[in-house]
Amino acid sequence: MTTHAIALGRRSRVAIGLVTLVGIAAFVWPLVAAPHSAAIAHAGDAPILFAVLVPLLLVVVLAQLADGNMDAKAIAMLGVLAAVITALRPLGGGVAGIEPIWAVLILGGRALGPGFGFSLGAISMFSSALVTGGVGPWLPFQMIAAAWVGMGAGLLPALRGRRELFLLAAYAGLACLAYGLLLNLWFWPFTAGLPAQLAFIPGAGPLVNLTSWVRFSLVTSLGFDLPRAALTVLAILVAGTPILNSLRRVSRKAAFGAQPTFEPEPATITLDHVTGRMSA
Amino acid sequence: MGLAIIIVRVVLQVVFVAGQGTTVVLPLPGIMLPSWLAGIRLGGDITAEALLTALYDGMRLAAIIICLGAANALASPSRLLKSVPAALYELGISIVVALTFVPQLAADVQRVQAARRLRGRSATGLRALAGSAMPVLEGALERSVALAAAMDSRGYGRSRHVPLAQRRAISVALLSGLVAVCLGTFGLLSAGTAPWLSLTMVVVGCVACLGAAWVAGRRRIRSTYRPDPWRLAEWCVLGSGVIVAGVFVACSMVGVDLATPTYPPEWPTLPLAPLAAIAIATTPVWTAPPPPMLRRTSPTAELVSA
Amino acid sequence: MITFDHVTITYPDSTQPVLRDVSLTIPEGELVLVVGRTGSGKTTLLRAINGLVPHFTGGTMTGRVEIDGRATSTHAPRDLADLIGVVPQDPMSGFVTDTVEDELAYGMECLGLAPEVMRRRVEETLDLLGLADVRSAPLRSLSGGQRQRVAIGAALTSHPKVLVLDEPTSALDPGAAEEVLAALHRLVHDLGVTVVLSEHRLERVVQYADLIVIVPGNGEPLQVGTPSDAMRVAPIAPPVVELGRLAGWHPLPLTVRDARRAAGPLRDLLIGRTPHLRPVSTGERALAHLQSASVSYGSVRALRDVTVTLNSGEVVALMGRNGAGKSTLMQSLVGIGPVPAGTVRVTNADPRSIASRDLLTSVGLVPQEPADLLEATTIAEECRAADRDAHVDAGTTRALLALMAPEIDDRMHPRDLSEGQRLLLVLCLVLAARPPLLLLDEPTRGLDYPTKARLARVLSDLAEAGHCIVLATHDVELVAEVADRVVILADGEIVADGPTSDVVMSSPMFAPQVAKILSPQVWLTVDQVSAALGSHDPMGAAG
Repeated sequence: MTTHAIALGRRSRVAIGLVTLVGIAAFVWPLVAAPHSAAIAHAGDAPILFAVLVPLLLVVVLAQLADGNMDAKAIAMLGVLAAVITALRPLGGGVAGIEPIWAVLILGGRALGPGFGFSLGAISMFSSALVTGGVGPWLPFQMIAAAWVGMGAGLLPALRGRRELFLLAAYAGLACLAYGLLLNLWFWPFTAGLPAQLAFIPGAGPLVNLTSWVRFSLVTSLGFDLPRAALTVLAILVAGTPILNSLRRVSRKAAFGAQPTFEPEPATITLDHVTGRMSA
Repeated sequence: MGLAIIIVRVVLQVVFVAGQGTTVVLPLPGIMLPSWLAGIRLGGDITAEALLTALYDGMRLAAIIICLGAANALASPSRLLKSVPAALYELGISIVVALTFVPQLAADVQRVQAARRLRGRSATGLRALAGSAMPVLEGALERSVALAAAMDSRGYGRSRHVPLAQRRAISVALLSGLVAVCLGTFGLLSAGTAPWLSLTMVVVGCVACLGAAWVAGRRRIRSTYRPDPWRLAEWCVLGSGVIVAGVFVACSMVGVDLATPTYPPEWPTLPLAPLAAIAIATTPVWTAPPPPMLRRTSPTAELVSA
Repeated sequence: MITFDHVTITYPDSTQPVLRDVSLTIPEGELVLVVGRTGSGKTTLLRAINGLVPHFTGGTMTGRVEIDGRATSTHAPRDLADLIGVVPQDPMSGFVTDTVEDELAYGMECLGLAPEVMRRRVEETLDLLGLADVRSAPLRSLSGGQRQRVAIGAALTSHPKVLVLDEPTSALDPGAAEEVLAALHRLVHDLGVTVVLSEHRLERVVQYADLIVIVPGNGEPLQVGTPSDAMRVAPIAPPVVELGRLAGWHPLPLTVRDARRAAGPLRDLLIGRTPHLRPVSTGERALAHLQSASVSYGSVRALRDVTVTLNSGEVVALMGRNGAGKSTLMQSLVGIGPVPAGTVRVTNADPRSIASRDLLTSVGLVPQEPADLLEATTIAEECRAADRDAHVDAGTTRALLALMAPEIDDRMHPRDLSEGQRLLLVLCLVLAARPPLLLLDEPTRGLDYPTKARLARVLSDLAEAGHCIVLATHDVELVAEVADRVVILADGEIVADGPTSDVVMSSPMFAPQVAKILSPQVWLTVDQVSAALGSHDPMGAAG
């Protein structure tokens, strides 16, 4: 059972859905844009447009999520888990994708709901970038991709025990790979000086670009993505159960979304000795 | 970090883009990759042109990184977060909480790791770290509940009552704004739609949803203690930044050559206008107000006082 | 001001109500002391005042709680924040920002006050609580007493009419506790704030209280009364009250001064008798020895030239201000922390050279935060792991735990235990290997009187069996009860080292209440007095 630390109302769900659509477009436009579209015609400026659009949309959707749905418990839990992720991020040292943070993000999203997972992904990327000095034009894209990873973990079907662990591990592997590939997609169009077989050619059709991109990923970042995915899968299989248990135990104690019940004082029944009747 | 980027860039260039240009600097053996990887040639002769291209590219990237890094170091996150717009207030608080918790977590890990010795377990090594993870995590989660109770007791999250009509209006504005952005983006990506239409839709949509978010944020009751003053010094810094940006844009439009050509390699020229702009960019060194220094006691004092 | 009207509170995952049919009225401007065992429901009572129960915790509440006309059933805690200020038990856990000024202002920011008002109130509060010189200090660098005062200040800036504090002095040394209590006293008497606080160490607070509320627990009815009335019948009472009850003084004195006025006849009766001290076992051998040991954290010298010997069979109390070096001394005996200059020997070996595996057979330490040592998810698992770590037969630890705390259920999560139970659990885990030298760092923080008595008995038994026990503590009464020898540290140096009666009598800061009442005679605990009176007619017969 998943506690929903941040409830998703209808407005929030639609907003997240729409922003996800635009966000995906912001990543995959080199591959799916039609050859004569405006995006391809101004292939040099399109990244700038998206680099401005994505942070704006992130602001809007996060504000919408926060609006009335985040009480103090959600904020405190968000802050603490974001702190854990921030503290873990410098540990890898950027070496070959050793990033222990994904396990925590996925387990957090699983235990506390998709809304929480979305916010946790975005917030923890931001705060860890502040701490490690990695603030740059890539940050909004990292934030939204991490938010998707967290949200996806919360949307997985409800299972228990070992099956849940395997499900999460499988999801983790896929999600980490997808994250790496998506971020590759982001800076691929403006990486200058690549040989033609790897480079983005605005005029060529989608299939040509797709193959170029796959080759580019294979050659450059698979060295990062595969270790990242492997480490996360391993971490989840080894430490997933205790971490999930303690997250769930604390969220039960915290009573997210607790609805207090108030009962009025029970009326005292008095017995009238003269008439033998009872009245409240 | 900037230096690292330059080096990585040069290496990438050397590995992948070989053989262009004619001035050979260092002959190296080349490896032909199998044809299913499209026969890319790894290695090959290192040419001056390739090196220079990579160098300039790398320097450009490095400059961006250095600027952002400097901004990061000078700006104190907690001060920045004070001026977060009301709509993002909750998230600002959670980031403040996160940043305040990180040093506590680090101290907790040290303490718990040392305490492993008290149970007869090893206090160093990977095993110790893994063993300390759970107590630290559990302690942190328990503290978060206590923090939430304290925040609730101090009045966190008070908001004005918003009438139903206004809430509906905000929803409509927000969602229709997002839909407009969506449609506009798809217009940009597909052939056939006029680019100006798509672009306008995107812009209008953005404005609508930002506006909706801003209005929704106004329902929060909150004030700021000692907001940062915005006076002449701040305007000067802002002004110098704007002027520099403006000059560079003007130069590129007018056609002043900013990039050094590499094929064939030449010595870089120094056009006048961009130089002047760079000089203006250094004025904040004198005009910017000094960042307030927090009184910091030595970390060992923290260890000793209970 | 505060009214409880037939209030019954039941938590969501339990069937028994925590508080049953509580009716209570607290007038304005009083200092109310809430007393009760751990788990008796006093925290629930305090949290019900500002609505955290049941809004934050969930659950069912019957009846009505009203503060200054506002009912908690219709007002969430955040709506009551301008009326009620809450100071949590661990101030650090309630801090949102990282400097003193920002923390003081945070509550006002939440209420949306104008910046000029906030500025003025921050200055007032800094002066009221004596925090002006640390105003821009980071919160992490403050001492315990300062943090407590910052937490009180943060609750005060919204000018509440009611202030609720949960065990404000439990972690503080006597000096800091005095400051905090004096500040609260000033609030009540000068500003007319209604203060409701819960405290275990009654001897510090009972003299300030106007009203005492005793929460017996198990849903039994509360006992409310003035201090002199309540203390006459209270199950737990400070030593001054117990002595009064023993000697039959009327009216029951609550302060040392009142007791001294009534103590003349008792002192006369005790002339010529001496307290019966616990015999220290004669098979004394030195278990640990420090010779000119110094420990420095960077440029700060935590221990300077400390020379002391610890012998088997004695209970040594280590006392001193917070930051005097007590924890550092203990940590150097187990080989944690910076490398000490000078010699440190535990059973003739340097503790740093003893491998962790073998450490438990020489020395055991229960740290300030016992939960640091808890890793398993059930108590049974924790005990089994301790058996393995200590290389003893399976079940040893569990048997020890059953002796010390029989009510603990095996299947519970260790972190769900109360503070006192957690301490006893960790004590068992450390004792599994029967280390001859046992160190306890601040064990009495948050312990109620019955658990403290239990701990005292356990420690005396261990000492009689030949262990050497070292207690770092502020609790003067526990020291009087159980310690044979007292070592006082100040600024990293030993300033006193001798038998308990000598050392505590020489300084008013460390003297127990009984000693202050009956001085110049040397009596440390009520038990000693009653034992001495035992075979003669007790004074009570005359009273």
